[in-house]
Amino acid sequence: MNGPIENALSRRNFLSGAVMLGGATILTGCGSPAVEETPDAGTSRPPMEQEPGELSILEWGGYEAGGTKAQAYGLVAGTDYTDVYGGNSISYTYINNDDQALQKATASNTFDLMHPCVEDLPDYVSRGLVQPFDTELLASFGELNPFLVEAGQVDGKQYMIPWDWGYGSLLYRKDMVDEADATGWELAWNEKYADKISLWGGASTNFEIAGLILGFPDIDDPSPDEIEQAKQKLIEQKPLNKFYWDNEYGQMRPAFRSGTIHIAYSWQAAYASFADKGMDVGYLEPSQGRLSWLCGFLLGSTTENYYHAHEYVESFINRKASEDLVNLYSYGAANTSIDINKIDNQALVDSLKLDDPMAISSDDVHLQRWMPNSAAIDTAWQEVVAS
Amino acid sequence: MDAELSGHRYRLAGGCGLLTGQEATLERSVTRPPGRRWRPGRGLLVLPPLLFVALLIFAPIIYITLFSVGLRSNIPGAEVAFSLDNWNSFLFGDNNPFRARFFYSMRVALLVSVVTTIAAYPLAYFLSFVARERRYTLLLLLLAPFFTSYLLRVLAWQIMLNDEGVVTWAVRAVGLIPDDGNVSWLIYSTFSVSLVLFYTWVPFVTLPIFAVLENMDHRLLEAAQDLGASRWTTFWRITFPLSLPGVIAGFVFVLIPTTGEFITPLFVGGADNQLFGNSIQAFFGTRDWSLGSVLAMALIVTVVILMLVFGRFLNTDLRATTGGDDG
Repeated sequence: MNGPIENALSRRNFLSGAVMLGGATILTGCGSPAVEETPDAGTSRPPMEQEPGELSILEWGGYEAGGTKAQAYGLVAGTDYTDVYGGNSISYTYINNDDQALQKATASNTFDLMHPCVEDLPDYVSRGLVQPFDTELLASFGELNPFLVEAGQVDGKQYMIPWDWGYGSLLYRKDMVDEADATGWELAWNEKYADKISLWGGASTNFEIAGLILGFPDIDDPSPDEIEQAKQKLIEQKPLNKFYWDNEYGQMRPAFRSGTIHIAYSWQAAYASFADKGMDVGYLEPSQGRLSWLCGFLLGSTTENYYHAHEYVESFINRKASEDLVNLYSYGAANTSIDINKIDNQALVDSLKLDDPMAISSDDVHLQRWMPNSAAIDTAWQEVVAS
Repeated sequence: MDAELSGHRYRLAGGCGLLTGQEATLERSVTRPPGRRWRPGRGLLVLPPLLFVALLIFAPIIYITLFSVGLRSNIPGAEVAFSLDNWNSFLFGDNNPFRARFFYSMRVALLVSVVTTIAAYPLAYFLSFVARERRYTLLLLLLAPFFTSYLLRVLAWQIMLNDEGVVTWAVRAVGLIPDDGNVSWLIYSTFSVSLVLFYTWVPFVTLPIFAVLENMDHRLLEAAQDLGASRWTTFWRITFPLSLPGVIAGFVFVLIPTTGEFITPLFVGGADNQLFGNSIQAFFGTRDWSLGSVLAMALIVTVVILMLVFGRFLNTDLRATTGGDDG
């Protein structure tokens, strides 16, 4: 039988040490992380040859550079970079929604490039997560849509290089949904389609949808009272949802294809994909207007691959890559020099106005913008999900 | 009784046990003999792992606590101030949805734990008493799913249970539903969440029950039958009580992790079937972690309470419950 450990650490000594450790932890743990200082434009940087060359990128699934093993959909964008520097020099961390992207970037400020959407740009800048691009290093910068370029600026500095834009609306099966019901966002509230609907798990998007239905004057700057109204509206809709999807390719598309759901919040790529496969689908043009979005590249404030990052972005925004983006995903491209006649599906070009450089800012769509009350909206959304 | 030997003091322990024939213990006193310098002993060897555990367990809990009371923020440059508002809202707020979600999750966890334990017992019994020579081979087959990714197993169930999955196909094939029909509660429901959790944990619960049954003194069973007990009486009065530590261990092993489960509901749960763990996971993807920290702390406290409650049963001396004498 074992006896006591010789000269054992007594319980008193252990507790004393634990208290000291805990106190030290508490003292050092209070507060908030410091805002990273953004490097000045004139900061001297090592030449490209001295950069590590291994890029870490925060990215949506499906947008990995062509030439990397991760790219499974045939995207051409990025091949100009991987042809020179190789596909193995890039690692991707994935995004499910914009809020999650911001939190990942905040928690781990080590990304060389990030690909969020413009509504979160002010938060990335205020948290010191990004630095301005040197647009002279981007050969195709002059071909980009000036409106979208301006949208990517904060205090006159080019923090975002716009790349892709599109819409958010309800994708629905025309053979399972009455066309008379498909007139507005309230389609997702129609009890006739209970258990066949799936909204996205994005907080701000769902509150914008509720805001459109409720007729808020500014869906991106709701008052606390309006947030509560929108929350109740979404709670009202919740029982009709089969599930809230987080992953387009892993959840929404399989469920839509199998018939588990007939109505889903979607970006237009899914609509184009299902239509191309012969499914009888519609992409709602709500009476209240579709949502629209603009996304692009942000340059990490702590990147050690300044020049490599610029070359990577250039390989995405050039004309060839932009034409491929439109063909593959039916998303709009920020590069206005693309030959729209080279786009395979001209019907989609017309229906989605992919040849209109001002499409996402027109009167019948709502470009998603920064929301001052986003923290309150995040909490309200979680209350909807938990209700 | 104390004695000194070779410069060290010893104490004869066991007390009244000596009179009943219990084995006496010889404890070496920890007091330092006079004139000896202090030397670091083997006790210091446990310091590194203790510090490791303290840093990996206590430090994160302290950090989460700071977030929950507003003393720390994940938002760079944000001002912090002590506040119990989130705690008050969660614990005492009217119709707080997270508190309701917590109780729903506990009900699901309890249901899954009970059903899993009930299902695992016959498996363990079969392996120990029936399979005999082949029991370890069969045990290996039972554990085989553990060798694959948990996420892949959940995704497999999502594929099997959806409207074009094999289960729906089978139900259509036997004519229970029309060819274009489906069973709405099969996927994205409390049923699917519970089913996948049950499937995931059955092998894990079988192990401790099997271990206890294997280590049981089978002569007790022979003795009972020699004394005229039926097989059912032998099982109910001898086997089952002696296996209770394993049953309780298995029950606890599935109850505690299930309370914080979020992967399974994420893939096979519907809008109304997300568990408390999903709320915690979602909050740490939002801009402000304070309320998520409150939920996380609530879960930690719950788990600690569960461990304290069930830990008492795991320490129970079952010889007393079977009416056996100590001497």
